[in-house]
Amino acid sequence: MSEKRFEICSADDLPPGERVITTLDGFSVGVFNVGGEYFALKNDCPHQRAPLCEGKLTGTTVSDEPGEYEWTSDDQIVQCPWHGWEFDITTGESVFNPHKVKAKTFEATAEAEEAGQSDDERDVPDPSMPDADCSSCGSDLDGSEPPVDTYDVEVERETVVVYL
Amino acid sequence: MPNSTSTAVDTPDGTGELTLVDADIHQRWASDEEITQYLPERYRDDGIVAPTLLYRNPGGFFRQEEMGEDGSKPGTDLEELASSHFDENDIDYGMLTGNSWFNLAALPNRDYAVELARAYNKWLVDDCLPVDDRFLGSLYVAPKAPEQSAELIREFGDHPQVRQVMLPGGAEVPYGRPQYWPMYEAAAEMNLAIAVHPFSEGHGTSNAPTGAGHPNSYIEWHTLLGAYYMGQLASIVTEGVFVEYPDLRWAFIEGGYGWVPHFMWRLDKNWKGLRSQAPWLDQPPSQYIRENVWFASQPIEEPETAEQHNQILEMMHADEMLIFASDYPHWDGDDPTWGLPPMEDSLERAVRYENAVELWDLPADPTDL
Repeated sequence: MSEKRFEICSADDLPPGERVITTLDGFSVGVFNVGGEYFALKNDCPHQRAPLCEGKLTGTTVSDEPGEYEWTSDDQIVQCPWHGWEFDITTGESVFNPHKVKAKTFEATAEAEEAGQSDDERDVPDPSMPDADCSSCGSDLDGSEPPVDTYDVEVERETVVVYL
Repeated sequence: MPNSTSTAVDTPDGTGELTLVDADIHQRWASDEEITQYLPERYRDDGIVAPTLLYRNPGGFFRQEEMGEDGSKPGTDLEELASSHFDENDIDYGMLTGNSWFNLAALPNRDYAVELARAYNKWLVDDCLPVDDRFLGSLYVAPKAPEQSAELIREFGDHPQVRQVMLPGGAEVPYGRPQYWPMYEAAAEMNLAIAVHPFSEGHGTSNAPTGAGHPNSYIEWHTLLGAYYMGQLASIVTEGVFVEYPDLRWAFIEGGYGWVPHFMWRLDKNWKGLRSQAPWLDQPPSQYIRENVWFASQPIEEPETAEQHNQILEMMHADEMLIFASDYPHWDGDDPTWGLPPMEDSLERAVRYENAVELWDLPADPTDL
């Protein structure tokens, strides 16, 4: 495989329901944590090239018959900030036409940090850059339960990685 | 015949080319105080009380990535508007259309509506237009008070950057009625275009926003804006507004244009048999539309194929009547770079600036305004 590997941030900094937008190989890319799985989309709506990944993280509605609504895919939908087109983050497919209208996707995963790897060998975007804003990641935890209770050391040391 | 031929455009830099004129840019006040400071004392304690739209958009009404963390909305910082929208998109002129939720036609009290319009116009002239000489201004009026609105048009219409008068799409009765004509007379006298832009449809005291009644959801409301405009256009053409004011230039903003061919064909067809109901029309109704009316491109029509879009442009005479609008920063806006589909060069020039230059009688160089 000729894919390039990019380390995005610590898994701790990208909890479920959050996203980070960064520049990889010249492309603006959104990396999402949906229910503990990681996904990456090109930050470029196929309609009029809006910054898709900056849109609202939401769910959507489905229905079995007129007048009934059921909420589904919570936190799995990103809605384009301009015209509201909905995309399934896990596939890049648009909700209204998943067969033809798609956002470009990349492989994203969390990998254990390799022992002995030094900081300067990693391709971690500078968090001070505007496109690499991790500042909101992990800061929105609700309730008084310490969220780290069930984390073990290995999980905390995982790194979110995207392959282009 | 204001709309008969396109004028050659010469720019001071010798290229002979403008780049883009944007017909619909929404600037807004950051706080109501910016407007209420200009209200007369009898209304100053009331602030702005305007009917709001009760239909909701699940994605919001603004470009979401430009919303401030404190909920502030794009379009309030006019310097930023000039640099981010005008500079980046190489816009030569942009028509500021204000906060379209003002809904002055849907207010029950005529005097209060007139004073809100006057306050808006003061804010426009004193606080908005001086920021950048590429800004063009649209005056607000209160359609339920046509005589007082005509006075507003004459009071503020001589500002060189003011080039049109905005009417809300929704009103009490159709815009062809002679009760409104004092506004048109004033606009023609001041060499200003009239523009209809969606607001007030279904709000406050306005009629239902569709001929079929009040829809259930915003998808219906937004889809049918063109249908509402059809009612306004049928009224102004058949009642003889352009017979009375042959030089009046009129624009329909944000109602689409795919319906225009059908509308012109049907009106001409009916005129052949029903002409006696509007005997003052001395040419086919579509001819008045081609000479006196312009349509803004946004929201761009998105038919099944690019060729179908080209056919719409040909059928509607887009080379005479279509003008580009971004509707920045609203949710349904069209990007100046990616919003317009490819079209033949001369047509693209017409849509990007030549038709707008005619509509607003613009000099090639903004400093010549």
